[in-house]
Amino acid sequence: MNNVLKFKNKKTDVAAQDEIYNFAYLDENTKRMIRRALIKALCIPGYQVPFSSREMPMPYGWGTGGVQVTSSCLTTDDVIKVIDQGADDTTNAVSIRNFFKKTANIETTEKTSQASIIQTRHRIPEEKLKEKQILVYQVPIPEPLAFLEPRYQETKKMHALSEYGIMHVKLYEDITKNGHIETAYAYPVKTNDRYIMDPSPIPKFDNPKMNNNPAIQLFGAGREQRIYAIPPYTEVTSLDFEDYPFDPSKAPHKCSICGSNESFLDEIITDDDGNRSFICSDTNYCNQRMENN
Amino acid sequence: MQPILSVHNLNKYYGNQVGCKNMNLTLYPGEVVGVVGESGSGKTTFINSISGNLIPDSGKILIETGNETIDFLEISESLKRLLIRTELAFVHQNPRDGLRLDVSAGGNISERLMSIGQRNYGNIRQTIFKWLDKVEIDKSRVDDFPRTFSGGMLQRLQIAKNLVTSPKIIFMDEPTGGLDVSVQAKILDLLRKLVRELNLSVVIVSHDLAVIRLLADKIIVMKNGEAVESGLCDQVLDDPQHSYTQLLVSSVLQV
Repeated sequence: MNNVLKFKNKKTDVAAQDEIYNFAYLDENTKRMIRRALIKALCIPGYQVPFSSREMPMPYGWGTGGVQVTSSCLTTDDVIKVIDQGADDTTNAVSIRNFFKKTANIETTEKTSQASIIQTRHRIPEEKLKEKQILVYQVPIPEPLAFLEPRYQETKKMHALSEYGIMHVKLYEDITKNGHIETAYAYPVKTNDRYIMDPSPIPKFDNPKMNNNPAIQLFGAGREQRIYAIPPYTEVTSLDFEDYPFDPSKAPHKCSICGSNESFLDEIITDDDGNRSFICSDTNYCNQRMENN
Repeated sequence: MQPILSVHNLNKYYGNQVGCKNMNLTLYPGEVVGVVGESGSGKTTFINSISGNLIPDSGKILIETGNETIDFLEISESLKRLLIRTELAFVHQNPRDGLRLDVSAGGNISERLMSIGQRNYGNIRQTIFKWLDKVEIDKSRVDDFPRTFSGGMLQRLQIAKNLVTSPKIIFMDEPTGGLDVSVQAKILDLLRKLVRELNLSVVIVSHDLAVIRLLADKIIVMKNGEAVESGLCDQVLDDPQHSYTQLLVSSVLQV
């Protein structure tokens, strides 16, 4: 309730604010329901908590889960950053940022260090996150066992009883077929030495960043109606074999804009002759490096 | 010697319909018990009830693990499933029920190994080859999908998949059903060899008396959900006492 009142006061001096929306679009009861799911998810790291996902003014697959989680976490003091595949300026990122600007009238930023909430699609920012930051992931398919065991009830049992042998069967098949673990994104992790979790389709390059991260990591799957979370400083390990250890892997190139050797790169085809260059997928990281040089 | 599995007064009803009634069984280590009977006599209900696939209405199932006696119907679901994937094995009549068809042959065999915590690819691979050899599947087929296998090979693969963790008790529901006679003979040969070599304790269900005579030490004859006769295999089949057993024995085709 406080939020609403505070917001209403603030609203009076902002003419551009659309009056028909509650703060951050969702109604307070829905936000409360989602917050309850979030608290449960934080208490049981990696466990998928069902929640009653709402119809959002965007199609499934465009981040409805992430938007609902963000909406439930927002306060009027928050500064939000939205990235899509690391970039601040792609359609999905821009439209979600505008959505919250319009419905919550809050400050937005492109700077990772200045954001208190970062909603992300398929990347973790290169810059180290800090305490008191929240990273919200958009998740298409929350169930890591979904492609191996189609029966939902059975996967619930497998999670409950830690029957995870089949997850390694997938990695076994990868090595057998390709000589190495081929899975390059949505690489399964074990959270807090208990639940196996799908980290959403982030590149496996980002997997190590989830481990012991000081920020809160929240995962929202709108269509599948699931929320899960990693509390700060939680152990997150990527599955592997003793003789085939997890390898985050990185393209053997430098960013052709900022020259970074450490960031995750996008491959860009530059002309019809098949020439290509590599640039940082995290646009803010790249820009900051250029400004500092 | 302690029996490894003992079943006391087991009942399973489907509504008013009798599944199996008042069933008893004692299985000693290294022993093979055969369950025979016509279709609908409750054989499969019985084996499903004692292997954890079905929950019986009443009765007692005791499993001896070496350290302790486990009351199979009283233990928690998690312990039960742990037992099912380590100490127990179930060979289905249709191998497609017991295999993952979109996972390679090697992957199928490896699943139980990895579910008990093996994490070394090289070692797992070695174990897979050892078992392919044991069940006489060519090593070159290790990365092929089960759907490219013949019926007999599928059954042998299912047996390897189940035996790889050296389970103490193996349940088999018509393991040779649906296979042609020469392939049946091969599978039986293989089973007989594995039973002797690995000292397996087996409960096997079959309507085929020849299969039972070949493999089993003891036999239980079922009719209408009840055991009508039981005892040593040769004794029961050579000198059947109950009229139904007499009928069964006499109706075997003499070629």
